[in-house]
Amino acid sequence: MTNVDDIISGIDTLRPIPPVAAQIMALAEDENSSMSEIADLIVHDPSLTASILKICNAAYFGLSRRVDSVRDAIVLLGLDEIIELVLLNATAENFRDEPDGYGLGEGELWQHAVLSAYAAKILAESHGFTSQKHLVFTAALLKDIGKIIMGRFVAFSYEKINILVHSRGYSFNEAEKEVIGINHEELGARVGQKWRFGDQLIYMIRHHHMTDKTARDDPETALVYLADIICMMIGFGTGVDGLAYRFYSEVLDRMKLTEKDLQNVIFDTGQRRQKLDKLLYLV
Amino acid sequence: MLDTHISHQPISVMTAVNFGELKLSRNPAETLVAFSIGAGIGVTMYDPVIKVGGLLNFVLPDSSTMSSSQAQFHPFMFADTGLAAFSDALHNIGAKTDNLKVVIAGGAQIMDQTAAFNIGHKNHQAVTSYLGEKKLAVHYADIGGIFMRTLRLDIGNGDNLIQTLGQTEAKV
Ligand SMILES: [Fe+2]
Repeated sequence: MTNVDDIISGIDTLRPIPPVAAQIMALAEDENSSMSEIADLIVHDPSLTASILKICNAAYFGLSRRVDSVRDAIVLLGLDEIIELVLLNATAENFRDEPDGYGLGEGELWQHAVLSAYAAKILAESHGFTSQKHLVFTAALLKDIGKIIMGRFVAFSYEKINILVHSRGYSFNEAEKEVIGINHEELGARVGQKWRFGDQLIYMIRHHHMTDKTARDDPETALVYLADIICMMIGFGTGVDGLAYRFYSEVLDRMKLTEKDLQNVIFDTGQRRQKLDKLLYLV
Repeated sequence: MLDTHISHQPISVMTAVNFGELKLSRNPAETLVAFSIGAGIGVTMYDPVIKVGGLLNFVLPDSSTMSSSQAQFHPFMFADTGLAAFSDALHNIGAKTDNLKVVIAGGAQIMDQTAAFNIGHKNHQAVTSYLGEKKLAVHYADIGGIFMRTLRLDIGNGDNLIQTLGQTEAKV
C-alpha cells in the first residue's frame, strides 16, 4: 500500500509558480489591492513582460497594432485580461503533462482547468462577486492540481476505485480517499500550503467538491464548485472520474441560481469553449 | 442558411463533431465522432439506402430558454433547434425519414442531481419527445449514468460505436 507521505512528497516534482505570479495572485485575492499595484509588478518583471507581450501580439487577440509595452497591453486588452493571462501563463507548464490514471488525453486537464476558470469568472460576474473574480478564477484554475500528482496512484488502484464508484455509490473523491488515503482536493490544498497560497485560496481548492457541509455556505467556494460541475456537464477535459461527484442543490439555491441561469451559464461557457483551443497553447 | 458541413471526398477520414455542432456526410470512408459527451447528447441519424448520415452534438434541451439571437446563431447547441435542422438537412440531401437509423448517447448526470437541474435527463426527454413527434424509432440508446461517452458513426456501413470512458464499448 502506498504511503500518503510518499504521495505528498510528489509535490516537489511540480514546477513552482514564479514568485511574481504568486505575488499577483495574492494581490488579486486581496480586495483592497489596487490595479496599479498589479500592473507595477508585471512591468518590473522583464521575463513576465516578454511572455505577456508575446501572447498579446498573437493573432488570437486580433489587435490592430503591435503592442510593445505592458501599459499598452493593459490599455488595449484591459487589466483583467492581462491578470488572467499572467495566471494562465504561470500555471500552464504544470498542467500540460497530463497525469496517468484519470484517463485524460493530451492537454485535457489543462483544458478543463482553463474552461472552469472562465466559467467561474462568468458566474462571479453574474452573481455579484465581481470583486472576487480573480480569486475565483485562480481557484478554479488550480483546483485539480492535486490530480497531477495523484494520477499514477489512481492508475495503480483504479480497479478498487471503480468498484466503489460504480457499485457502491461513492463519489470519485470519496473513493480516492478510501482507497489511497488522500484525495485530489486534500493534495491540492497541500500544494497550496507548500507554495504559500493565501488561506482562502487553499480553502477553495480543499473543498471544491463540497463534501464538507460548512463549505457549502461559502459563496466563493460555491462558484468554483458550480464552475466545475458545469464543465463536467459540458464534458470538457473530464476523464474516468466523469460526472462521479455529488450535486448539492442547496448550493444552487443559496446562490439563487435558477435552472434558467444554469442553462445560460452552460451556454456561455460552451461559447467560451469554442474559442478556447487557440488560447490554450498560446500561454 | 445553416452552416452544415457535407463531405464528399473518398479518403479515409475521422471528423470530430464538437460540442454544439452538426455534421453530415456521404463519404463512405468518413467516420463522424463526438468525443467526451457529458450531459449533452450525441444523436446520429443514418439512411442505409443512400448511405448518408450525420451527427448532432447538443448540450441543452430547449432554445426558448435563451434569447432568440443566441438560439438563432447557435442552433446546434439545443435539442429542439438542432434536431429540426438535422432533419431538414438530411431531407435536403435525399434521406427518407422511414429509413433512418437513429442512435443516441449521453445525457449523463452528476451524482444526486435533482430534477430541476438535471440537464442530462431533460436533454433525454427533449430528444425522446422530438423523435416521438416525428415517429422516428430509436435503434439504440445509451443514456444517463455518471459516464463520459464518445459516439462514432461510420458513414460507409452505418455502424455506431459508443465508448464509455473507463468502462465499456458497444457497436450498434
Ligand atoms: Fe476536482
